[in-house]
Amino acid sequence: MKFLRPLIVFAGLLAVWQAVVSVFGVAPFILPAPLDVLTTAIARADVLAGHAKITILEIFLGLLFGTAFGTVSALTMAYFRTARAWLLPVLVISQAIPVFALAPILVLWFGYGLAPKVVMATLIIYFPVTAAFYDGLRRTETGWLDLAQSMGASKWAMLRHIRLPAAMPAFASGLRVAAAVAPIGAVVGEWVGSSAGLGYYMLLMNGRVQTDAMFAALFVLAIAATAIYFTIDALLRHALSWQPETDPARTF
Amino acid sequence: MKRFLISLLSAGMILAAGPASAAEKLTVLLDWFVNPDHGPLFVARERGEFAKRGLEVKFIAPADPNDPPKLVAAGKADIAVSYQPQLHLQIAAGLPLTRIGTLVATPLNSVVVLADGPIKSIADLKGRKIGFSVGGFEDALLGAMLARHGLSLKDVTLINVNFSLSPSLMSGQVDAVIGAFRNFELNQMDINGRPGRAFYLEEEGIPAYDELILVAKNDRLGDPKLRAFIDAIEAATQYMINHPDDAWKLFLKGNKDLDDELNRRAWRDTLPRFALRPGALDKSRYARFATFLKAQGMIETTPPVASYAVEIK
Repeated sequence: MKFLRPLIVFAGLLAVWQAVVSVFGVAPFILPAPLDVLTTAIARADVLAGHAKITILEIFLGLLFGTAFGTVSALTMAYFRTARAWLLPVLVISQAIPVFALAPILVLWFGYGLAPKVVMATLIIYFPVTAAFYDGLRRTETGWLDLAQSMGASKWAMLRHIRLPAAMPAFASGLRVAAAVAPIGAVVGEWVGSSAGLGYYMLLMNGRVQTDAMFAALFVLAIAATAIYFTIDALLRHALSWQPETDPARTF
Repeated sequence: MKRFLISLLSAGMILAAGPASAAEKLTVLLDWFVNPDHGPLFVARERGEFAKRGLEVKFIAPADPNDPPKLVAAGKADIAVSYQPQLHLQIAAGLPLTRIGTLVATPLNSVVVLADGPIKSIADLKGRKIGFSVGGFEDALLGAMLARHGLSLKDVTLINVNFSLSPSLMSGQVDAVIGAFRNFELNQMDINGRPGRAFYLEEEGIPAYDELILVAKNDRLGDPKLRAFIDAIEAATQYMINHPDDAWKLFLKGNKDLDDELNRRAWRDTLPRFALRPGALDKSRYARFATFLKAQGMIETTPPVASYAVEIK
């Protein structure tokens, strides 16, 4: 039952796609019909699977490193005022630089293997995770902190028992954003230089004027990205099951 | 009263008639950012060859070289500058395009390695990393070149470096690149102090082809504007051959940011390669390349050349 609604939305989007192609008579080399994309995807399932594995690996590694660096940075900024003064501008600038400009430099430093794609994905994930976690650490309920202080808690104990758990919901929000943008980082990394991956395959098929294959790869990427997002979302909700969720639309 | 109305009506009709000969608009999509390969196009404009024939031509450079033929095929532009090898793939994919003229009549594509590097022949590419750009048929070309030396694509690693051909080669990230234009990348590497050595495709077993061609949508072939456009290009090319230095100055008029050493050298190297008869077509050449692509497994059928390449009337 839980999957019915997303499936209906999915089917609806496919119907809109088919309608656009049929009604507007869009050329197949610009926007192929969903059926053509599906047949191509099935015919090339093994090739697509191989490329998908690589891109998904890049996304996961990017999430891993991005989250790791993000949590460390957020904690550092929260506890060391000088770090905050220096790190905050770096954080903001890291997002202002268009990833496209950075990608060729990364490729020159790290070569054409997995590394530059992972670095790209890490860069994109770093900001939402750091910002969200940092905010969460700072916005702890003052009442709880006062209570802890009155009970003689050390800074470390306060962090472990109050700030960290209280910051988890904010951290989870940051992680959800990260999960949504991680695929972009991996694909952009592939566009700049690669020999495998869904982004690479899309470029190759575009060059060969095989638009249906390009869209098949795009589709697989979309499905993978959605699956990753919902997996992380489910894990977070399970980990933070103690957090009450209220529906703003309802009144009590 | 009647006479007044008639004179009013005639005055209105004269005013509504407009200028005697309004220039006809043509949108031409380039294959890449403006560079000396587009010499005849811009020299034609500066020489007034378009205006003389009642044409007003707009040039647009794309972000993705794969887009212009698709846009022309979709009716969003009149003419695209494209590549003959790509045309064969586009026809196989069902794009309603026809080649109406040639801009550069020789291949420009080449395999480039560092001049002081270990690679002295195609056979030395065994076990090496080869960078390529646009993507499409690079493996077909390399496969054919390697086969002549008893090698196959399995003996090399292909890496899509997008447009960083020279940087990736000069920095040693790859051992060779394919897709480098001999008039451009070679000069770029020389200027940067890391000269390259080129293996010309047509000397390594690939049938010769037209690197840059002009394509239009099939339903536009009867349009007299297209012939006028080709005539203008022909006149400009003649001028470039007869007055190469003056032509360069004209080219720079509309493209001041191209006045540097790289483009000057590229102009000099491209000059002998422009099609001296842009409208002329060698059908056997196109058929030969189509047969080659079919043998490499890039296309499945070889339709008659007349269905996708013509001499425009």
